[in-house]
Amino acid sequence: MVCVNKLESILEEDGIIFLSYGGSFTQSLIAGMTGVLEKEVEEAELSMKTSNNIFVVFIELAQNIMNYSKKMNNSIRFDPKGLIYVGKKENQYFVCSQNIISSHDKQKIESRLAEIVKLSQEELKALYKEVRRSGKNSHDKGGGLGFLEIARKVQNIEFEFEALSDEKLYFKLCAMV
Amino acid sequence: MENLTIEATRYTPSVILDAENGFIKIMGKSYPENTFEFYKPVMEWLEEYFKNPQVNTVVKMEIIYFNSSSSKLFFDFFDLLEENNDKSHITVHWIYDAENESALEAGEEFIEDFEDLEIQLQEKE
Repeated sequence: MVCVNKLESILEEDGIIFLSYGGSFTQSLIAGMTGVLEKEVEEAELSMKTSNNIFVVFIELAQNIMNYSKKMNNSIRFDPKGLIYVGKKENQYFVCSQNIISSHDKQKIESRLAEIVKLSQEELKALYKEVRRSGKNSHDKGGGLGFLEIARKVQNIEFEFEALSDEKLYFKLCAMV
Repeated sequence: MENLTIEATRYTPSVILDAENGFIKIMGKSYPENTFEFYKPVMEWLEEYFKNPQVNTVVKMEIIYFNSSSSKLFFDFFDLLEENNDKSHITVHWIYDAENESALEAGEEFIEDFEDLEIQLQEKE
């Protein structure tokens, strides 16, 4: 039980945890976890706006992990593993995630997020609409709108990268709803 | 032309595409694993429908929440409707729960983007 206790104390340090998961991500699992979150926010009597913001941020991050995580070793193959948790600290709800990406992905993610975190809500709306209209970031899995969608639904985004090897990194992101 | 109905799942909406009555309805949550693949039959049905549409076409959309790729898809969906506006009189009802501000805002933003399409915001009763 030592390991369980350790995990529990780590989770508690970050505030009240509604949900935490580490491992492989599938669509069915993401839907199941979203269902759990729906029950949690119902009990917490959150407004529909805050609730929906939590769901959408959770879904974006979880689907990112499912679609874009890379294997830890040197292959470039996908491996939908990662870590996600949703919690509350000092009246602030947050969703945090971690997954493995390639150094090539890091460049793309870093420049996109660095631009996004500087923008006001008005500017985010304008950029969101421009990207959606032009389809310039579209690819087979989406419209390239994920980080913008998150930024529009939260008050603050923090992110960092932690090198695992020359080619692979941990990508960590926390969004405060 | 055949009608098309898709049952809702935990992460995809129910879809009703009724050619005889010129009636289209999409209702529920939308965060499919592969959004473009999920909506492909819907978009293909619409292309076919607008070759010989009814005089009036009524579209009802009631989306509780959706992921970003669904947002892009809905944009393309409205784009297709707007393109065919001259072939059929299209009215879109964007239905939202009074407490669901995000759904209302999403509807307002589609109205801003599609000036030539008649999109009415409709509070759910």
